[in-house]
Amino acid sequence: MSQVEFVNITIDGTTVQVPAGEMVIESARRVGIEIPHFCYHPRLTMEAGANCRMCLVEVSMPRKNPDGTLALARMPKPQTSCSLPAAEGMVIETETPMIVEARKGMLEFLLINHPLDCPICDRGGECPLQNNTMHYGAATTRFVEEKRHPPKAYPLSKYVIFDRERCIHCARCTRFASDISGDAQLDFLKRGADMEVSSFRDTEFTSLYSGNVIEVCPVGALLSRPYRFTARPWDLSTQKSICTECSNGCNIKLDHRAGKLLRVNARLNEEVNEEWTCDQGKFGMDYASHEKRLRRPLIRDGAVFREVSWDEALTHVATALSEAGPAAAFLGGARSSNEDLFVLRRLFQEVLGSQNMDHRLGPAYPSAADVRAALGSQSPTPIAAYERMTTIIVFGCDLAVELPILYLRVRKAAVRRGAKVIECQPSSYRERPHANKVTDFAHSSIWYEPGQETAIAEALAHVMTGGRDPGASDGASDAAASLPNAVAEANVEFGSAIPRLDDGPIAIIIGRDVWSRSLSVPATLKAAADKMGTPCVINTYACSVNEQGARELGILPDGSVQASAPGLNADQILHGLKDGTVKALWVSGVDIASQFHDPELVTQSLEQAPFVVVTALDLNRTATMADVVLPLASVAEYDGTYTSMERRVQRFHQAFDAGVDVREEWRIAANVGMRLGVDMPYASWRDIFGAIATSERAFAECTPDNLGDGGRLLADRNNEDSR
Amino acid sequence: MAEKLVLFEHRHLPGVETAAVYETVGGYEGLRRALQMTPAGVIEEIKVSGLQGRGGAGFPTWIKWNGMLGNPPGDRYVVCNADEGEPGTFKDRELMLRFPHMIVEGMAIAGHATGSATGYIYIRGEFTEPADAIRRAVDEAYERGYLGEGIRTDGSRFDIHVHLGAGSYECGEETALMSSLMGERGQPRAKPPHAPLPVVAGLWRRPTLINNVETYACAPHILRRGGAWYASMGTERAKGTKIFSVSGHVARPGNYEIELGTPLLELLDMAGGVTGGALKAIIPGGSSVPILPAAKCTDVRLDYDGCRAAGTMLGSGGCMVFNETTDIVKLMWVTARFYAHESCGKCTPCREGTRWMAKIMDRIVQGKGRPEDPDLLVSVCNNIDGRSYCPLGDAAAWPIRASVLQYRDEYEHWVRHKTSPVGEHSVPKVA
Repeated sequence: MSQVEFVNITIDGTTVQVPAGEMVIESARRVGIEIPHFCYHPRLTMEAGANCRMCLVEVSMPRKNPDGTLALARMPKPQTSCSLPAAEGMVIETETPMIVEARKGMLEFLLINHPLDCPICDRGGECPLQNNTMHYGAATTRFVEEKRHPPKAYPLSKYVIFDRERCIHCARCTRFASDISGDAQLDFLKRGADMEVSSFRDTEFTSLYSGNVIEVCPVGALLSRPYRFTARPWDLSTQKSICTECSNGCNIKLDHRAGKLLRVNARLNEEVNEEWTCDQGKFGMDYASHEKRLRRPLIRDGAVFREVSWDEALTHVATALSEAGPAAAFLGGARSSNEDLFVLRRLFQEVLGSQNMDHRLGPAYPSAADVRAALGSQSPTPIAAYERMTTIIVFGCDLAVELPILYLRVRKAAVRRGAKVIECQPSSYRERPHANKVTDFAHSSIWYEPGQETAIAEALAHVMTGGRDPGASDGASDAAASLPNAVAEANVEFGSAIPRLDDGPIAIIIGRDVWSRSLSVPATLKAAADKMGTPCVINTYACSVNEQGARELGILPDGSVQASAPGLNADQILHGLKDGTVKALWVSGVDIASQFHDPELVTQSLEQAPFVVVTALDLNRTATMADVVLPLASVAEYDGTYTSMERRVQRFHQAFDAGVDVREEWRIAANVGMRLGVDMPYASWRDIFGAIATSERAFAECTPDNLGDGGRLLADRNNEDSR
Repeated sequence: MAEKLVLFEHRHLPGVETAAVYETVGGYEGLRRALQMTPAGVIEEIKVSGLQGRGGAGFPTWIKWNGMLGNPPGDRYVVCNADEGEPGTFKDRELMLRFPHMIVEGMAIAGHATGSATGYIYIRGEFTEPADAIRRAVDEAYERGYLGEGIRTDGSRFDIHVHLGAGSYECGEETALMSSLMGERGQPRAKPPHAPLPVVAGLWRRPTLINNVETYACAPHILRRGGAWYASMGTERAKGTKIFSVSGHVARPGNYEIELGTPLLELLDMAGGVTGGALKAIIPGGSSVPILPAAKCTDVRLDYDGCRAAGTMLGSGGCMVFNETTDIVKLMWVTARFYAHESCGKCTPCREGTRWMAKIMDRIVQGKGRPEDPDLLVSVCNNIDGRSYCPLGDAAAWPIRASVLQYRDEYEHWVRHKTSPVGEHSVPKVA
């Protein structure tokens, strides 16, 4: 590891030790001085920055006199502190009369063409331009000419609207597009005072990360279409939450007002999402305040539903479940909280004596035992660890769609940290319409046709092991020439030969489409990884928000050590409903009628099922076929924890009351249990989480109070005994 | 004093733009000599000559060349800045048209001295004829072995690629030129103390030497006749000769090569003196430098220190002469519009300030000036000067501010009387 070198610099009279090369604007923060700025953003590259000229400071450097003594020499021009690396002996002044004048001048320049329509601007109240003008600007303008008038409210995409009049040309959005998301769909057109941010001529801004430019914009130029004109920032309340759109566990803030969720912004977590969101997460929040939200429990009455009291509904459910007993089954749960799942599991295992539970909705998922046999008990690669990887292999995974924020981290590892990314993808991915593809930064892209996965995995395994075998020639770089027979037989067409793998840690991401159908790819790669002298993790990441929690808590037919025999999996449960061996079904939080791989089977099963209870936010297709429908609280309406795909347990907090009679699923399950004679006296998520920590080895070090704002990774599985 | 012809010695020799004729007057002898020397030896010769960059800033050339040698091995580049866009300057154009081989030879010498195998010559987009001349010269130089591997015996090579700009003044700024050459927007890049010099990390982050056309053109003469010979010309602190482009109200506008340190008024005499009226003002170094009223022209010597002492700069050598029919306000109106048009837009003060100044000047010459406008112009200039990302902002502010300070009465005349102080036949004539 390289040693960090420190230098002494003096800022407004305070001498401080900072890492050499740190930008002076950051060093100033260390001594409590905030230098005003617009274009500077620590995550964006400096090359196109340093353009707003707001962060100018005066700089003096020590110079040697002819007699060898040191004297301070002030640079003739002020310097932008956002791009100035700290150097030994540097003396910075941030409040000289010249700097005060320069800031005033810069704000005057920025405002001469700015419409100053703050009263109707979404950004008003949380606007850096507004704030800096109040602090550092002049009270009046000397500009009597006509302002620029480009069109207002230009729609860039279905999410982002662009008010060109307000733009101050700081290049934050264009740098986000080129540096972070990498799609470079925003750039400048024209020059001088006519310069404007634009997508390419008449094209839509289709980046999967477009919403971030709204947050990085230091003025009200880039605006959220769903949020536009709905609230003033000072009327909003904010609550810490976790995004539920995928398993990444992105930290977000829910901005709400009067019981309505109005806006989702990123919440800083360096380990998870840094400060980014994907568009699914940022704009997919209409669930909470949707007009179709269920308000009361429903019981089927012939062809229609009847609104009933919770008491009536729960009595009905308890009766039906107790009649079914061990022939009851549970499907779903990948979107429920850890606490929901824990209580539901207790209800099925302890109260009903059933292990018929499955959170996976695909065809013929490998059993938990098979997964353990093939992959051992490795912990998945944590998100932030990708920056330390030498090689990242993406296998059959459209990463920006499946795990959008992991895509950004893998891209960062490749572009900024020099990781070598190799992708092996179905050739159909080349035709996908979105703009964020691993191919853009991959060292090698290998395209295959369906059915060739195993052959490709064998070729990869060959390179992984062959290149490291001391007896083998240095032939790994020429892998295509010496591929195993299976590859030659499969007639695999390589986009390029698989490159030689460098020494250093490797992370392999296998897409759900691949690992959910067959374990041959992960098993082949795992076997090769075990022969390597370098750490190599095979990741079969969970996809739904708490799918990893469901794995940890064993919402699986063979997920429990207590059960003597495995229960039925999803497919078997549905068939069991048809042939009468399964007598009651609880569907939790998912619309299996729409999402199961075989919707026809679902429809037939639900029609013939003796009893089906569905918990849901709205009357989805599955719910319409149920006997009882129970309205659930959304993530914004209760407290709890999720386990993200990297095994990070994180808190989400209640933002507001639903205003309708909805309940948490754990409360529903506990109530049913109580009616069946098993007391589950939980009053809050804290009680249940404490119980989880007591009974689940992985959660042993967790308490309700040690999760913090950034969550906590579960104990490394490599340090556990096998379960 | 008369002209001192070094680069222009064979200016009138027919066919000197061809390799055959160029060789008869010593052409490529400098390169042959350089190839027999070590890179350090070549740079020592440039150091002895005292050559300073001829593009405007006057930075000692040898320091740049020498800076290339300290880099670790790998690709490095030699770039010739032929984006001659400074209003009033047309020396590089003539050099390229008449002496394209001198530039090719100079770049090849620099290639040897800096261990570079690749050269780019970035030519202003409007310069189609000079570009053709350069292309012909490059082809001939390959045929005769001066480029490629050719006459080199050590296995090294030097190639030149000709690249045309797309009509942006800003791309004459060396870091913006690099951006443009790499296919990016023509916007400047960070410089010390914010980023390494181009000789450390330039084109594609590789060491890159950038010099002006005239600087490269000096190298063959220095290598052929010795650095000491070159240093015998000029002054103590400004060696050699420099080409000035004289234009405006003079009898014989054109390029004049003189020793540095020659009095400004002698240059004026060489160009046949002022025509059409008495001398009013001179802008000695291209439109970016402050204007000199006639009274201040008498003692000015044309070298870096002499111009600075007079409150202006040597700049690119674009010497514009104005007689008494010139309306300074209208002259600066044209200048302000130029810079507003050419600002790249990257930084706030230049993007907003140049357009603002142009709008104020528009208003004044439309007879809508206000008494506070002259002071406002100075204030806007002060808010740009020294605070912009690259020198374009400074270059836009200096001439306007100098004109208000020197010719305030003319601005006040425009504001008060809404007409030109020099009458309706004033120049420049602008639609």
